[in-house]
Amino acid sequence: MDVTIVVLTLAAAVGAGTPLALAALGALLSERAGVLNLGIEGLMLVGAVNAFIVAEVSGQPLLGLVAGAAAGGALAIIHAFLSITMRANQIVAGLALVLLGTGIAMFLGQPIEGQPLSARLPDTSLPLLSEIPILGRILFDQDVVVYGTWVVIAAATFYLMRTRTGLAVRAVGEAPATADVMGIRVAAVRYAHVVASGVFAGAGGAYIILARVPAWAQDGTTAGLGWIAIALVVFASWRPWRALAGAYLFGVALRANFALQAAGFTAVPAEFLSMLPYLVTVAVLMVITATDTRERLGAPTALGVPYVRDER
Amino acid sequence: MTAPSTTAAPARRVRFERRARAPRWLQVVVPVVSVVAALLFGAVFLVATGHDPVEVYRTILRVSYTTGFGITDTLRSATPLILTGLAAAVAFRFKLYNIGGEGQLYIGAVAASGIALAVGEVVPVPVAVAAVVLGGAIGGMAWVAVPALARAYLGTSEIITSLMLNFVALYAMRYLIFGSDTFWRDPGATTFPQGRRLPENATFYEFGTTRVHLGLVIAVIAAVAVYLVVTRTRWGYRWRVFGDSPPAARYAGISRTKVIVSVLLISGALAGLAGAGEVAGRAFRLDPQGLAINLGYTGIIVAALARYNPLAVVPVAVLVGGLLNAGPALQSLPERVPDAISTILTAAILLFALGGELFVRYRLRLHGDGEAEAAPPEPGEPVPEASAADSDDEEGARWM
Repeated sequence: MDVTIVVLTLAAAVGAGTPLALAALGALLSERAGVLNLGIEGLMLVGAVNAFIVAEVSGQPLLGLVAGAAAGGALAIIHAFLSITMRANQIVAGLALVLLGTGIAMFLGQPIEGQPLSARLPDTSLPLLSEIPILGRILFDQDVVVYGTWVVIAAATFYLMRTRTGLAVRAVGEAPATADVMGIRVAAVRYAHVVASGVFAGAGGAYIILARVPAWAQDGTTAGLGWIAIALVVFASWRPWRALAGAYLFGVALRANFALQAAGFTAVPAEFLSMLPYLVTVAVLMVITATDTRERLGAPTALGVPYVRDER
Repeated sequence: MTAPSTTAAPARRVRFERRARAPRWLQVVVPVVSVVAALLFGAVFLVATGHDPVEVYRTILRVSYTTGFGITDTLRSATPLILTGLAAAVAFRFKLYNIGGEGQLYIGAVAASGIALAVGEVVPVPVAVAAVVLGGAIGGMAWVAVPALARAYLGTSEIITSLMLNFVALYAMRYLIFGSDTFWRDPGATTFPQGRRLPENATFYEFGTTRVHLGLVIAVIAAVAVYLVVTRTRWGYRWRVFGDSPPAARYAGISRTKVIVSVLLISGALAGLAGAGEVAGRAFRLDPQGLAINLGYTGIIVAALARYNPLAVVPVAVLVGGLLNAGPALQSLPERVPDAISTILTAAILLFALGGELFVRYRLRLHGDGEAEAAPPEPGEPVPEASAADSDDEEGARWM
């Protein structure tokens, strides 16, 4: 394999990792506020199908992105309502959301099955930066969403770690009762962040269809990325930057498979290469949980526990 | 549908008060109302997308629930869902969130079909069928063993590990069919790779001219067995103590690791059985296309709708199986309704049921209601019975 293939693979890996980074950021925000959202896969699918339809009708891929994000956010309200107001089991509610999202996406997507998208998101290489040898090609010859993701990740880190509101969010995820006493509106914070998780997951799904795989495929559009995004949050120990890094690593794993096949590497069957990212995730989770405590990893203490004032 | 506006804000007008015990009628009313509400939601969705809900619902009834042929087809669709539903119910009930039913089903199918191909022609029918059933259960158990042991000994969340292994199982199964020459692959299939057909001896008996097979009997027996184990045995008692309160289980000397491993292994075995039934009773070969219809994930939905009661899993699986079964028929309606409406309806039923659960667990009290003020302790005072009855306690939600 020569250098060009490696560079092309890494550039593709950044693109492949971007929807994952967006979706993982969404899952992370919700979890930081104490709500586990397992519905990411469904939210991504709904985002993708709406992005396709809106982009195709309007001819504006960016409008598609907005529509995808909005659709994800709207669907996430259901999860917020069930897990916050109705105190439902968040795990089951999230799975139900996946089912609902998949159903809606397949329903709306049936007429456009296999249809290619004409209004794709164009590449926008950054002037000067893209001239840097190798690195420029990998990082700065991408589209606006890739750059936008860096901004969003940086903003999220700043928000969570350096702002008052971010502190309030973390308080809600760690100790909702204390936050409540401090005057923080626990339910409102949780609602906002669950909806945000839908917005980012929807944007991630939209990005897949607008830039990565610009044709609607009932069973292939998200291909389980939403689930990987949830695993990534643990992997990233609830920190946005690490989620971005993890997403790119996953991107490399996903694209290396293609590159190896294209290069005629057949010693290991393609299916086994495809298994690797999942096996690595399992192995990494086992190692970090064996060596680190939950607290040191940074898991929000109240994650998955409905908050009920006056109880306990 | 579920607009958050009314319940989110009103500061202290409406109060929820935890019930010590849910009245029995409510446990029936909530699911029934959920189904009705979901049908209404589906109708709104259908109208919004330009379809006729009456025609759709009439078709679903006709295709799946009212004709003899439809009912037997529904039962056949429900068979794997009973088993994956039980797999989820037995684990979720004790707050062990096995999301890996899908992968366990695949590996169960791989093991069952492998055994059928290996011994199907050399041993008598009952032995072959028993070996297939056992193979499916062991395959599912083997697949859940990694998440189970990791959770029991390392504290790794079974949610994520079992979920990740679904994908590994899917690729493993694909390899067995699409890989160049594996034992499972039909060497004669030249156009499109597919699994080798199982020998007749190792397939499940079909009842009469219907396509209902032995798997249904196995599934119903499994439901009763799980119910009896959970409610009548010492094992089940220990699991319940662990599920209700891990600290109490610790004081009582109940081994946490044993409970985790045994519950998850049983859960995996049930999902694996579903895989065995699918290859030996329906597809008659290992066929990734035929299996990939999310039976594992749908099982979790079934279990939740059945409120994790093993006996209730059976009728709920029939309801959901019928809904999914009717999907393809909707596409042949003149207006071509996408079959995904079945999935949407299933999801909506569950979402309404999850919301309704609140009314089972809590009593709704309007502030100023005289009776409400007199009886219960003032807010802020500790409520002694509350934490033990809590079904979403912290340790259970532990998921990292």
